[in-house]
Amino acid sequence: MNRNIVEQILRDYDASHCPGTDPALEAVRAAIMLEDVFGIALSDSEIDPAVLAGSSAMSALVFRLQGAG
Amino acid sequence: MCGVCGIVSYDGPPDLTLLRRMMGRLRHRGPDGNGYFRDRRAALGHTRLAIIDTLSGAQPLRNEDGTVWVTFNGEIFNYVELGAELRHRGHFFRTASDTEVIVHAWEEWEEECFSHFNGQWAIALWDRRTERLVLSRDRLGVRPLFFIRKPTSLLFASEVKSLFADRTVERAFDPAGLDQTFTYWSPVAPRTVFRGIEQLEPGYYAILDRDGFRKAPYWRSEFPERGHEPVQDARKNADALRERIVEATRLRFLRSDVPVGAYLSGGLDSSVTSAVITCYTDAPLHTFSLRFSDSEFDEGQYQEKMSAALGTQHQDIMVSPSDIAAVFPEVIWHAETPILRAAPAPLFLLSKLVRDNGYKVVVTGEGADEVLAGYDLFREARVRLFWSRDPGSAKRTRAAELLYPWMGRSPGRMPVFARSFFGRRLDPYDPAFSHRPRWDSTSVIKNMLSGDLRHEIDQAGAEDIVAAMPPCSNAWDPLSRAQWLEMTTLLAGYILASQGDRMLMANSVEGRFPFLDRDVVDFANALPAWHKLFGLEEKYLLKQAFTDLVPDDILRRPKQPYRAPDAASFFTPNRPAWFEAVTAERAIATAGVFEPSLVAGLMAKCERTGGENMSNTDNMRVLAVISTQLTHEYFMADSGHGALESLLPAPSVTVDLVKDDRSVP
Repeated sequence: MNRNIVEQILRDYDASHCPGTDPALEAVRAAIMLEDVFGIALSDSEIDPAVLAGSSAMSALVFRLQGAG
Repeated sequence: MCGVCGIVSYDGPPDLTLLRRMMGRLRHRGPDGNGYFRDRRAALGHTRLAIIDTLSGAQPLRNEDGTVWVTFNGEIFNYVELGAELRHRGHFFRTASDTEVIVHAWEEWEEECFSHFNGQWAIALWDRRTERLVLSRDRLGVRPLFFIRKPTSLLFASEVKSLFADRTVERAFDPAGLDQTFTYWSPVAPRTVFRGIEQLEPGYYAILDRDGFRKAPYWRSEFPERGHEPVQDARKNADALRERIVEATRLRFLRSDVPVGAYLSGGLDSSVTSAVITCYTDAPLHTFSLRFSDSEFDEGQYQEKMSAALGTQHQDIMVSPSDIAAVFPEVIWHAETPILRAAPAPLFLLSKLVRDNGYKVVVTGEGADEVLAGYDLFREARVRLFWSRDPGSAKRTRAAELLYPWMGRSPGRMPVFARSFFGRRLDPYDPAFSHRPRWDSTSVIKNMLSGDLRHEIDQAGAEDIVAAMPPCSNAWDPLSRAQWLEMTTLLAGYILASQGDRMLMANSVEGRFPFLDRDVVDFANALPAWHKLFGLEEKYLLKQAFTDLVPDDILRRPKQPYRAPDAASFFTPNRPAWFEAVTAERAIATAGVFEPSLVAGLMAKCERTGGENMSNTDNMRVLAVISTQLTHEYFMADSGHGALESLLPAPSVTVDLVKDDRSVP
């Protein structure tokens, strides 16, 4: 997947889901999506609301992990 | 929609009296007419629910020279296009029915003809030129087709009760069929719960001729290798999906010579199909809904909202637990199998409402959950897969709390239980990873089986559906494997049968399912998995495709599966007398399926609580016991059910070549 497609997918995710009230649980929800769609593996420290705060932050993480892979 | 039956005899002409008795047991499937054909080898019977070409489409129906005859239950929705092609190839049509397309398509393409059909069908075709019987069933198993191979004949029928019109057919439970039912929720074709009785697999045809009996698939549910899906762009796929669903819905609404209504559950799927009908056709729409007196199950506010948004003429029926108990014996008479949920009973009442309002065809949203990944089971599998990558991670463990938000006792409210339940068997290399929790929790029913039956099941040997998965499935996305299992087990065996065809046809109503259209299914199967289940958002692409037609609060409401009160329906103060009769210790012992003392303990437990707040397992146990007992009562204990043959009106097709001794009618 190229950069544009990744960013579009993450913008779509931001737009489509209604966040719950527990930020830590929402980070888990986002991590499930990221691992499934992009085939990456997140560490526990990355399953964190601060790391997964919005599409830009998630894009950066995806590119970093894909690059690492 | 109709009833079909027939006989191929190896030692003399088929028994016409038996054929008429078999037809008599299918009258509810076809109250508008009936007919039969017989020659020296085969007899075909038909009871008709007249929907297309109501004047001249009577069956059995023949080709130009009377060498090919067919009895057919269902619809070939692309019959107009196929008819034009076959006329172009020189075939002459005498009717405007979809049935006639079948005989000409057989002449033209033989076994390849089924790949040309887009529809829902059970077909029996007799080719006199080669003395060949051909049976065929639609791709996903919308329409049923049972048969029994006897030493001197083969009998087939839409329902098992029709086969039992032959008093020589053994009436006994099949241990392996029960084992599958108490694991997968239903037998998996070709198996049934009746010893010696088979059902043709969905997507298959079978041939019986001088070379014997054989069968083969003309279609398989297949998925691409993960990452190699043809189109990755979600927007393009949403547009293409919409195009296919609109066309599939239009075909099912417009290709009928009688008015077509629609079910409206309050969920996304039926909202989409109803919205398409109102937006893409000029005809007014009549919608029908189920309501529940128990607010835990009721979706009335969403049904009213959608009906108002579309401007449909709307009717509903309020169902209480005692209503479910009252009709449950009739439900089992029509379902012809043990069931583990009471959910078919309200659907039986809903189809009655449809019929009472003068409709005999409804479009419903059935199939969307399997084809476009709507079930909680798919979300559950994704959560468990995420968890399995590091089972010791406290953060991953919390994923279970995201499941089943609609449940009163949801994992989010009971995290410790959720972790222990969903955390079992986290083996990501298991091809049936998605289904193990369901199958394991269902199999607990088998702890109540009698010693004799357990022994028989052991002797029969367990049939593992996983062994039937295509070898290439290990390269599929895990969601695709889960969908394959769901379509192969629950969809065909329970959703389309006990909850679908049988509850509709019990009241002579035909269901039409746009989400199970050939082009929709093939397209959906080829989608990237995340277009269907995006993270944990179910049916993502469907929502994207119809965001302009469905109100936002229906589009975005959490998935609420269709459910009905289970055990609680049978422990109300004024429950019907049949319940005591079938659950009495003697009746349990006579049927021989369950251990009487264990059943007595379960019933006592339910009596104490009124059937309320029972565990999922106990709810299934109660339903398993009473539905199995009723199945035994109706189909094995010879309790007088089935003496319906004399109620058939005079037939409109009576072709008896044995009696008339003529070669062409």
